[in-house]
Amino acid sequence: MRSTRLLLGLAVSLAVAIVVADVAPASAQKRGGTLRVAYGNEILGLDFHTLPGYEMLWVASNVGCGLISLTPDGKFVPDAAESWQASPDGLLYTFKLRKDVLFHDGTKLDAAAVKFTIDRHLDPATRSSIRSFLGAVHSAEVLDPYTVQIRLKYPYAFMLHMLAQYRTGLLLYSPTAWQKYSVEERKAGKPEAVVGCGPFRLVEWVKGAQLVMDRFDKYFEPGVPSLDRVIIRTIKDPVTQMAAFKNGEIDFIADFSADHVDTLRAQSPRAQIMTGKETTPMVAMMKVTVPADGKPLSTNRAPHAIFNDIRVRKAVGCYGIDRKEIVKIAFKGQATPWVGIIPPGTVDTVDVTAMCPYDPPKAKALLAEAGYGPQKPLTFELMTNTEKSVFNVIATVIKEQMARLGVTANIRLVDKPSWMLTATQDGPFDMYVEDLASLLVVDQNVYLSVSTAGWNSARHTDTKVDDFYARYAREMDPVKRKAIAKELQEYSVDKLYWNTISGSPFYQIAQPWMKGYVYQAEFKVRYHRVWLDK
Amino acid sequence: MRTYILKRIFEIVPTILMITFVVFVMMRSVPGDPVVSLLGDAYTEEDAIKAREAYGLNKPIVVQYFIWLGKLVQGDWGTSILSGRPVLQDVMIRLPVTLELIVLSMGVALLIAIPAAIIGAIRQNTWSDYTATTIAMVGVSIPEFFIGVLFLLIFSIGMGGLLPSSGWMYLPGTCPTMVCGASIWGNVQHVLMPAFALGVGRAALLTRLLRASMLEVIRTEYVTTARAKGLAERPVVLKHALKNALIPTVTVMGLQVGFLIGGAIVVETLFAMPGLGTFGIDAIIARDYQQVQGFALITAFAFVVINLLVDLTYTFLDPRIRYA
Repeated sequence: MRSTRLLLGLAVSLAVAIVVADVAPASAQKRGGTLRVAYGNEILGLDFHTLPGYEMLWVASNVGCGLISLTPDGKFVPDAAESWQASPDGLLYTFKLRKDVLFHDGTKLDAAAVKFTIDRHLDPATRSSIRSFLGAVHSAEVLDPYTVQIRLKYPYAFMLHMLAQYRTGLLLYSPTAWQKYSVEERKAGKPEAVVGCGPFRLVEWVKGAQLVMDRFDKYFEPGVPSLDRVIIRTIKDPVTQMAAFKNGEIDFIADFSADHVDTLRAQSPRAQIMTGKETTPMVAMMKVTVPADGKPLSTNRAPHAIFNDIRVRKAVGCYGIDRKEIVKIAFKGQATPWVGIIPPGTVDTVDVTAMCPYDPPKAKALLAEAGYGPQKPLTFELMTNTEKSVFNVIATVIKEQMARLGVTANIRLVDKPSWMLTATQDGPFDMYVEDLASLLVVDQNVYLSVSTAGWNSARHTDTKVDDFYARYAREMDPVKRKAIAKELQEYSVDKLYWNTISGSPFYQIAQPWMKGYVYQAEFKVRYHRVWLDK
Repeated sequence: MRTYILKRIFEIVPTILMITFVVFVMMRSVPGDPVVSLLGDAYTEEDAIKAREAYGLNKPIVVQYFIWLGKLVQGDWGTSILSGRPVLQDVMIRLPVTLELIVLSMGVALLIAIPAAIIGAIRQNTWSDYTATTIAMVGVSIPEFFIGVLFLLIFSIGMGGLLPSSGWMYLPGTCPTMVCGASIWGNVQHVLMPAFALGVGRAALLTRLLRASMLEVIRTEYVTTARAKGLAERPVVLKHALKNALIPTVTVMGLQVGFLIGGAIVVETLFAMPGLGTFGIDAIIARDYQQVQGFALITAFAFVVINLLVDLTYTFLDPRIRYA
């Protein structure tokens, strides 16, 4: 518990600018009602342990419960575990469970269920999406029916962060339901198969139509949740979202386009507009190596013809890109120009933007040094995808900024799966624009940027980066850890394996009558304390 | 007639097989596959290889196609790799929404096109003709999404929510979900803007086509004869001229079904309708092969059946047409 406290004390607060905790006395809260929610994208499926997508994750954070939770200001609070303790060497975490926690199928949540869940995650056959974060976990043991102990292979400073909030966090599954139903049934959202211990239980999911969750009356926290029901449907077009919001057809937009915030504000002046420091980086990633033998993902690497040269990377990605201009045009000023590998709202972030000032003469000089100029003009391909219109705007601004340097950037527009395939499978690209995953802490970026990561789309081979992450994750002293994070971020800018442009802003919109909602960026969208004042 | 219908029905089978095969091959030829979407940011090459094996995506395309076909003839349309949901179930849930949208948008198109074309033809080169043809030209030129956004701005945002901006209300007795509101009035409110957004462009096209046909027909000898016999103008135009002028229009209407399905993708996305259009586009974007096949199958089937019905309509419009 002592080291936990240390972690708690030093866990820098989540970047939360506006907390819509219109906290009213419990007696004033109105119980009941249906919350109507709009998502901007379709839910892929409902197997919380394996499927990707924020939309699924936001459902999971209401249907599921975990051992612990993380508050927006960085405090760990009990969920199904009423208390926890870490051993002095940081290798044993012991969790005492509440005795009154039930799964939605009526079975009890006990230490065996926790062990069952952890074992499933550790089993490669499960293909758990958090398995890559469980590298430190050795095993879970049942000490008594309500005490479970997790043994680590080595000290891991972010054990609690991981359990609380890396992707879904450790969501506990009913072993009974798991054994009774298949993964396909969970993916398909069969209510009997998607069994958690959260404040809401799944009633139905009809893909394309709606997802319905009802209050779980036997939820362990008395009086929670207030809402009777939550209905989620997908409205992709921001104009339609605004129309539905203005007409009162929906109460909450879980993910609203930054481009349209000003319009919405003008149309619906009483709307609660929630945002915070960005936790997702917008990047202009440059490819560093290519397969020497032409086989994608080959370990035999050759330098990328253009961007393996650090002078070119620096000229184009560092001094040649005017981040302020991009933010002004693409985000109407509603984002932070940023260079560091870790976005502004992430724990242990450091503002190293000054390392890359916009300096076209310096960029031109570096290009000339690398052999590029009027006699040998530099041309590269700038890939972007159709998922968000802002990507194309950013790519167009970069193209314009490159033209000022005498560099030609040819934009290639592809759809999201094509981009994902190129990024993950070592496909051909020179630079791409995209916003990557939300990051709670630096450690979470491991799966995107170490040399061995599937998502190391730059395909750098610098193992020094891997060492930084390993040292950072295992360093239990927060002060030393912060220093490593700073070192990593400076090294990253120096090498530009990862080229951040800005933070990627995230907005949520709520009707004035929606009370008690706490903004937690993309990480969690929880309705357990929401009530409707109407 | 019966032989003709049986022959046409028989022809449907190879047509659909060909379409589904082409779609099958094309989908697998474009970059990306469902495994990349399935694994998302937890992607590792080892997991991807295992997943492709598990879903049979590592087999040759032709083998995969015949596996799909083999299941199809047993009534199994497959299961979505991403959502795990049976494709047939999802198609059947979404089909009524798109069917209603397409039928009503065609109704809107005819409701606008027939009077406009008649007025344009019988009052050729007058202000009413010019107005009808100009509006038709404008209608053809404006894409569905733009008309849809205009409708949203006017009837939903501008008029204080006169019409709902999004979603769907089922007709009583057709609700596929457990939690569902159903009412005739609610359904009308929800379908009006999408049907008009989709129908206006088709109306414009049909107006121009029908007007040209009408101009040709009202100059034929049998129409002159009908007038000479002393028939009033109304029956001459509506009973004799219009019926014959409709034949090329009906042909185009059949062919327009394909465009309506394409337009439904845009309109359903804009108005967030749970129809086949959004199903299809989501499936394509996610490279959900099984769902794309389901979408191709149902749309191809709808297209050939509707065109068969169109061919049969000719015998009603012109009794001289006989099918051997």
